[in-house]
Amino acid sequence: MPMTEDQLLKAYRIMERSILVEQAILRFIEDGSSRVLLHSGRGQEAIGTGACAALRDDDMLFYSHRGVTQLLAKGVDLEALLGDFLGRVGGATGGLGAGIVHAVDASKGLMGSSGTLGGGFVMSAGAALGAQRLGDDRVTLHIFGEGSANRGTFHESANAAALWKLPMIWLCENNGYSVSVPHREATSVEDVADRAKAYGMPSKIIDGQDVEAVHDAVAEAVERARGGGGPTLIEAKTLRIRGHYEGDPQTYRSKDEIAQARLKDPQKLVAERLISRGRTEADLADLRAAELALVEAAAARALVSPKPGAERLYEGLLAPRSAA
Amino acid sequence: MSGSDEAPRILSYRAALREALIEELERDPTVFVMGQDVGPFGGVFGVTKGLTEMFGKSRVFDTPISENLIVGGGVGAALAGARPVVELQYADFALIAMDEILNKAAKWRYMHGGGQSVPLVIRAPEGILGGLGPEHSQSLAQYFWGAFGLKVAMPATPADAKGMLKAAIRDDDPVLFLENKSLYNRRGPVPTGDYVTPLGVAATPRRGKDVTIVAWSRMVSVSLQAAETLAAEGIEAEVIDPRGVRPLDLNAILESIDRTGHLIVVHEGPVTGGLAGELIAQVVEKRFNSLKAAPVRVAGLDAYVPQNIELEPLLTPDANAVVEAVRRTLARQPG
Repeated sequence: MPMTEDQLLKAYRIMERSILVEQAILRFIEDGSSRVLLHSGRGQEAIGTGACAALRDDDMLFYSHRGVTQLLAKGVDLEALLGDFLGRVGGATGGLGAGIVHAVDASKGLMGSSGTLGGGFVMSAGAALGAQRLGDDRVTLHIFGEGSANRGTFHESANAAALWKLPMIWLCENNGYSVSVPHREATSVEDVADRAKAYGMPSKIIDGQDVEAVHDAVAEAVERARGGGGPTLIEAKTLRIRGHYEGDPQTYRSKDEIAQARLKDPQKLVAERLISRGRTEADLADLRAAELALVEAAAARALVSPKPGAERLYEGLLAPRSAA
Repeated sequence: MSGSDEAPRILSYRAALREALIEELERDPTVFVMGQDVGPFGGVFGVTKGLTEMFGKSRVFDTPISENLIVGGGVGAALAGARPVVELQYADFALIAMDEILNKAAKWRYMHGGGQSVPLVIRAPEGILGGLGPEHSQSLAQYFWGAFGLKVAMPATPADAKGMLKAAIRDDDPVLFLENKSLYNRRGPVPTGDYVTPLGVAATPRRGKDVTIVAWSRMVSVSLQAAETLAAEGIEAEVIDPRGVRPLDLNAILESIDRTGHLIVVHEGPVTGGLAGELIAQVVEKRFNSLKAAPVRVAGLDAYVPQNIELEPLLTPDANAVVEAVRRTLARQPG
């Protein structure tokens, strides 16, 4: 089912929001408002945006560390997200975060993220298993980088997911680099999707810069998962515009390559699609202005929230009813 | 403690665990059991025998040999709203799944801001039992002193096996449930009815005024046996079973030391880096002035468990070792 114009408009806005949130964070880093560790998802926005457009609110998402867009697309509270990056009490984790976002919101199906790369495979398979054993029809989406697919957890989870026909979608963001190591020097096959064959799992390779291609592939996989047809592995070929983290000198790739990546900005493609459907540049400028106002207002509110003190360190270790 | 008006029956530790699983599977439809060979085979130690037939394959089922998945999948399922009870076939395999236990089960709530619960039970048979060798015989509760989001339970009796497993399944935090393999056939009274034993409350199976013996799991009965021998010599030992590592009922131990002035700590795993060291550190910090002599560790040797069954008994403390330690520490009493 192709994306509707409304969905495309929303995708454009989510991408703009994500770009602006990352810009705000870079500004916070510059002006010293907070000591933030950012793994930018610039260039990869189409993946989270397209994928989450194919989900229900109660479907579960395990997002990656490059996941600002993924969180926004699934409906994270903007102020909570910014507050988390800023390490403020009003942030998603009550001031514990400052970079690798660990926002959760059960009402939006935001389940969290593994700090160890590849740690999420078993978690997402487990969530899908939970939904299956509870007898509900939620599906689980796990977005991960291709580098983490070299963890043993990938194998254990893929085998079990296919064996038990777990209602889940694995969406690989292949940006060509495991931190600094090029894909070909870390992975035995060109396409991570090839590995699906070994598990008897359907797979698909798509253009990760094309939000509609992502949406369509995920929508098809969601339908299969919800209908009892089991998991799907989707590999989205994408491009990382910035470094692995902010401050990464990127000595391992050429400036030309980075410039090439900028030419394939996924938001530009959405803009072209919208214009071909009759929207104008002015319409898009209005949307961008609305997003800017939204992000600036949320950032201003997030900054007002206090930073946590030492007492915060002991909070939330155990469940409220059992905490001593 | 709750439940039970009727007279206790005599059950094995294994049967008590199985009864707890059956009752909780019946009580709560979100509970499921998974692990290697826990299905029709009934588990390597027989704890889940007959459960697949009783509850169906969707609630009690086998997994592949995939320890990361067993624990991590349990965490994920718990986040999705289930209450999984997963079995690691041997506690040693916790070392394979350490990322899932320490980084996921224990930390998920905390690192995600406190909004999510992980009501997961990880059952894991630990300890030495008849020639299973270096990778299937370890007692490794000491590795979890610093797992602040995890509870660690170690039942020493059939009654506790039942009551604590039921409490663990109902707990909103992840619980590592360490069953000592040599206790599976141990028999004892187990109350009927909905018998639940709160986690983190120490038991004091024997009262005494002369010395405090803190012992975990299999070493509780070894220490009680030692206390009998000491009683014949006129020494009254108090035996405290913390019933686990986290949460630790330190107050029960401190209160006892205030009366006895002597502390012996007994556990099965190796003495170095073992359970006793951290406990003694906590006691000495808080009760240096109550102690009449240095606390003593009575624990496993600093070596790996050999496969040779004839060497096994040489590795872990017996009642004589505990008796000797008590005699030595009382002899050191000043004045």
